[in-house]
Amino acid sequence: MIVSSDSPTEVVRRNNVTILGNPTGRTIVFAHGFGCSQATWRRVTPAFLEDYRVVLFDHVGAGDSDLSAYDPGKYDSLHGYADDLLEIIEALAVPDVVYVGHSVSAMIGVLAAGRQPDRFSSLVLVGPSARYVNDDDSGYVGGFEQHDIDDLLDALDSNYLGWSSVMAPVIMGNAERPELGDDLTASFCSIDPFIASQFARVTFLSDNRADLAKVVTPTLILQNQDDAIAPESVGRFVRDSIPGSEYVVMDARGHIPNLSEPGELVSEISKYLAKRQE
Amino acid sequence: MPAGEIPPHYWEPSLHDLYEHAPVGQASVDPGDVVVKVNATLLGLLGATEEQLLGTVFRDHLTPGSVLFYDTRFQPVLSLGGVVNEVSLTMRGANGQDVPVLVNARSVHDEAGGVRVVRLAIFDSTSRHGYERELLHARRAAESSETLVRVLQDASMAFGACSTEDDLAVTLMESARRAVSGAAAAVLILDEHKKLQPAEGSHPLAMELARLVGSPVERAVEQLAPASLGNARDAGVGGAEIGEALLAARFEAVTAVPLASDSEAIGVLVTFFGRARSIGPELIGLEQALASQAVQVLTRIRLQVQLRHLALHDGLTGLANRILLVHNLNAALEMSHSARSSMAVVFLDLDGFKPVNDTLGHTAGDAVLSEVAARLVGLSRPDDLVARFGGDEFAVVFRDTDESDARALADDLVAAVAEPMESLPEGFRITGSAGLALYTPAAGPLSDQPTAASLLALADSAMYRSKQVERGSITVVRA
Repeated sequence: MIVSSDSPTEVVRRNNVTILGNPTGRTIVFAHGFGCSQATWRRVTPAFLEDYRVVLFDHVGAGDSDLSAYDPGKYDSLHGYADDLLEIIEALAVPDVVYVGHSVSAMIGVLAAGRQPDRFSSLVLVGPSARYVNDDDSGYVGGFEQHDIDDLLDALDSNYLGWSSVMAPVIMGNAERPELGDDLTASFCSIDPFIASQFARVTFLSDNRADLAKVVTPTLILQNQDDAIAPESVGRFVRDSIPGSEYVVMDARGHIPNLSEPGELVSEISKYLAKRQE
Repeated sequence: MPAGEIPPHYWEPSLHDLYEHAPVGQASVDPGDVVVKVNATLLGLLGATEEQLLGTVFRDHLTPGSVLFYDTRFQPVLSLGGVVNEVSLTMRGANGQDVPVLVNARSVHDEAGGVRVVRLAIFDSTSRHGYERELLHARRAAESSETLVRVLQDASMAFGACSTEDDLAVTLMESARRAVSGAAAAVLILDEHKKLQPAEGSHPLAMELARLVGSPVERAVEQLAPASLGNARDAGVGGAEIGEALLAARFEAVTAVPLASDSEAIGVLVTFFGRARSIGPELIGLEQALASQAVQVLTRIRLQVQLRHLALHDGLTGLANRILLVHNLNAALEMSHSARSSMAVVFLDLDGFKPVNDTLGHTAGDAVLSEVAARLVGLSRPDDLVARFGGDEFAVVFRDTDESDARALADDLVAAVAEPMESLPEGFRITGSAGLALYTPAAGPLSDQPTAASLLALADSAMYRSKQVERGSITVVRA
């Protein structure tokens, strides 16, 4: 049985697609990683609103996506998420998009672009890893062992109370950064705990090394420093495997520069797109 | 003592002492996750010195599994919400020991909203950790066996509601896919020539694999035992083609479980997975349980189909019997009336059949009847119905026809019956006399419409007139 594709309106609802910015601008799609929702782009998107049609969405199971659309078989591999991404782009009714994928969404973009290169004018991969688990046979170092992933699954289950409940907002008193105000309203980062567990497995146990070579889209890899999830060796592997890709090591530390160093991330993405005249 | 007043001789030496020896570990980290302050309680908890913690990155003191959680979940929530409560993490003590903790965190912001520092309260949860882990594993085990029972119950109910093979195949695929998180599935059924045919909705790759010798699908059918491939990238020697076919369809694993009844293969259930996995006896066992439930229902459906066929068909010639003829004729009349199109029924009685039966025996007679049946079926159009009315009488229903077409069709039938038969010795000759009753609906009331019985009676009497006039002739009447 083949899971049928949804109509554009259903896709928009399913993935809680949000369209902001300049309706006549080029379309730039931001895809969030494991653990949160489109809320993780809030400090990045304002910089693109004037020139770009900015598209955000939640993977099914995260944020305000349609949980009833979750099919454990479909989403047991990143291909199911790549299917969704291609449907979202289809629903946007534009020939192609600039795609910015963080963490696991970097690989989702790689899969989608490998299948339908015409849909992507540029790929920006933020903190990508093609495989998180070390592979002794090939000497590949992903940074983790299988039992680390099992520990994560335990941690997810132990913390399941905090997954779907609406996070209690804290008033931060920051009139200077009104965009933070939005954070106080939504149930940001909510994820269904059952889905989180399977998404963790799919994210951290997938092996997409062979898919990198299929990318023909111009690609920028943004590597963070001291990123325990996607260390530099992993980023270099992605660079070496995607023909002609550009690789930039940012000053940003940790795994979520979109939250910790949005300014630097915006500037690197903008520089790259300016160079490519997008 | 009134509320709001403090006893005069209380002992709490200083805020510094309170911080250092609070009954909770405390740490402050800068926006880059670097530890800038710790209290003695936390140092004691980790068995570490201040030098071992200050200036280091906090996440470096977590186990790898907790790092994954910390960076993908804890940090985004803290960054966006400024607060995280009761998160269970495992820290690494100075001697490498695991220290399970519960963590609360608060961001302290500057006036511009930037994070100045993050304050962490770290509770030792060692004693409850083991207990909770056990609970967790027990809960998972219970959930997984509960899931198993539910999957089988749901499937059993869904199978029971199926009345056709197609329904059943679709239900089996969907149940299997849901039970094992398969990305796609297929059910292939062996036809009467022992060739596999895909049930509707099957993923096409299953048929492709069935043709590849050594593939799990081919093996499951040949050896009547479950077969699988857990990782398409490790398809092994000779399996490259199988592995590539899977990867090309974006699958990394496949299982094939035979559908068998009385140790005889009747088909195979194939499940495809989007991600490589280790395929153990639990997964295969679940698929087998679903398969065997489905086979029981399939057997019942086939028996019903067989019974229905027996009830409505003639055992010798395989033609429709009188019951089906009347049923079909009524339906044809109804259609004719509503579509305002003519229809006809031909009644055909064999001439020269009695001598064959009486002289050459029943076997020879049966052979003649079968041959006539085959000739009539060979000439009929897909929507026509050929029936054996009884003895050596046959009837054919023509839908959507007119007089000249019906006449031509009847001529063909009579001519075909009159062709010589190889099985008959010299001196025996079979012909057919026919009566053709034609009905053209008029705008009159419904009660004027003929019934199946009246139409058949008309055709029958027309046939008798033919016999009286000349054997092998046709008489046409209008209803």
